[in-house]
Amino acid sequence: MKQRVPGFSRIRTSFLFTAILLSLGLTAGNTFALTNDDCLGCHGDIIDVTIFSATVHGGNGCVSCHREAAAATDEHPLPMPPVNCGTCHQKIAEVHAKSEHGKAIKGGDKQAPRCYDCHSKHEIFRPTDPRSTTYPLNIPGTCGRCHQDGSPMTTSHKLKKKHITDNYTMSVHGKGLYKDGLIVTATCSSCHTNHDVQKASSPNSSVNRNNIIATCTQCHVGIGNQFLKSVHSPLITKTDKKLPVCIDCHSDHTISMVDNKDFRLTIAQQCGNCHGRYSETYLETYHGRASMLKGGEKLAKCSDCHGAHDIMPSTSPESRINKAKIVETCSACHPKANASFTTYLTHATHSKEDKARYPYLFYTFWAMTGLLVGTFAFFGMHTLLWIPRSYMERVKAAKAKREEQD
Amino acid sequence: MSKTPTLYVERFTPCQRIIHLMIIVSFLTLAVTGMTLKFAMEGWAQQVADLAGGFAILGALHRFFAAITFLYFILTLGMLFRFWKNSGKTMGGFIFDPEGLVPNLNDVKEMVATLKWFFGGPRPQYGRWTYWEKFDFMAVFWGVAVIGSTGLALWFPEQASVLFPGYWLNIATIIHSDEALLASGFIFTIHFYNTHLRPEKFPLDPVIFVGSITVDEMKHERPREYAQLVASGELENLTSKRGPTAWHLRVATVFGLFVVSTGSLLIIAIITSMIRYLMRH
Repeated sequence: MKQRVPGFSRIRTSFLFTAILLSLGLTAGNTFALTNDDCLGCHGDIIDVTIFSATVHGGNGCVSCHREAAAATDEHPLPMPPVNCGTCHQKIAEVHAKSEHGKAIKGGDKQAPRCYDCHSKHEIFRPTDPRSTTYPLNIPGTCGRCHQDGSPMTTSHKLKKKHITDNYTMSVHGKGLYKDGLIVTATCSSCHTNHDVQKASSPNSSVNRNNIIATCTQCHVGIGNQFLKSVHSPLITKTDKKLPVCIDCHSDHTISMVDNKDFRLTIAQQCGNCHGRYSETYLETYHGRASMLKGGEKLAKCSDCHGAHDIMPSTSPESRINKAKIVETCSACHPKANASFTTYLTHATHSKEDKARYPYLFYTFWAMTGLLVGTFAFFGMHTLLWIPRSYMERVKAAKAKREEQD
Repeated sequence: MSKTPTLYVERFTPCQRIIHLMIIVSFLTLAVTGMTLKFAMEGWAQQVADLAGGFAILGALHRFFAAITFLYFILTLGMLFRFWKNSGKTMGGFIFDPEGLVPNLNDVKEMVATLKWFFGGPRPQYGRWTYWEKFDFMAVFWGVAVIGSTGLALWFPEQASVLFPGYWLNIATIIHSDEALLASGFIFTIHFYNTHLRPEKFPLDPVIFVGSITVDEMKHERPREYAQLVASGELENLTSKRGPTAWHLRVATVFGLFVVSTGSLLIIAIITSMIRYLMRH
């Protein structure tokens, strides 16, 4: 967007220049030339001249867009073909034509958005102008006209993602935009681009897995720098396995503040998508267990011990769980933590899988289980055998009582 | 109607009844709050946590009643100390008193006799404390020592790891949790059955709340104790015409039934949770 604005004005300047030359030529060739006033004679009821003259195209004559009417002396021929913005905005038109929207137009999709569907027709303002349909505060509404659930487009097209605009509104970006009026927050076009909207599955898409980090770090530069040095960075870890990208942990349209309760409660699951065993064993220990109960968001989550964007291999002295740093890490919640305390095994279980590593846990568990089974086996039998005798005692006592009363 | 008035004999002193009340309230709360954490993945546990207002409140309750547990542990030791002083026996003589609370050879004989009784033999001549009652009493001691010490370590993990390696906390967790499972499982099934739910007593034996039983009951249930008291001539001094009042009995029954049903509900929840856990793994 930033890059496009100077280009846009350059095009506009050249366009104006051409328009002047053209109108000079027309004036020279014809005795008659259509002025805006001529057009407004008929179309005055649909065009508000005061608004139009303030728009980016306010200095243009009607016929500079509605070219086919230019040659008319009285009434222009009908039907008029649609305006071709690409005549002036050539590069944008080329990009748009290759986008998912452009391809849909080519494919005959009547609902596919043309320039004016997003930019309006006669009320086109700069994106920095609050009146513009592409002003940050207005973008979700503009895209939402088609992408909000219940719109004609969402009913006629099969879309994988649901409730996009609602989710966006509730997300950290949406809240920034609507609650605080933070116009530098991410809107639809920040991630999806404006004219080059592609399906996420397309390798060229700004929201394709392989491009997500680049897309998010347009704004989140600091986090990007941290992440690219971390164990999850494709620059550091060379592997065939899928490395996580921003959206794997943060989601896309529902992205929330990281200290949000619901987000904190999903961390173990998110990390568990790849680190399944660690997620499971976490849930077996105190932190994980208590996490499942009300108020559990306060308990330590993966990122509280391992970090988030700056996770290093545990062997690295920079790792939060490396011996050099672990006391400090635990101290965040346990101010009196000491070196011995940090040998608590946050992921160890008494299971068979962990037997080789933690035999003392395995054997403690089975010794305790033996005690339980032994005790219950003996007293269980004792009780079962007792029941018929006890019942007979009751009958006997009742009989004795009856006899006494008789 | 018998012509002679009903005679009562005190089985539990007010002090013992109060200690048992402390045990009931603290044990039940500890079991509910602890099992909620142990089975946190279960719906019922999450509902308990919601009802309590969060795991932090469950934790606070657990620690408060842990303190109550240590208190009744000390009170019981104090009570035993006073008994010893009053008995005029040597320490060894008191501990290994044949009619005392420590299991002895006679209990083994009685247990064998009981098993024979189950298969049709004569009912054993039980004394003041049967072997299963002694087991309950000793189990509380063993349980409080084991669950209490591991629980203290988990309550103060930073300080505990100064005394021993931090990974011992993992071992302490297993012991604490499984011993608690044993204790709750035992109390809510075996103790409940032995004392309250067995057909002779069903649904509740209120003696621990009201303190006294009738002499007839004693004669029937604990013939050896009765014979000993008659022989020593002490029975005369111990009996009283005053039994528990109707209100005392009513309150005891309502409270007792509430506790027995809560414990039973919890044990059902625990068993179903364990079955579900085993089926998942």
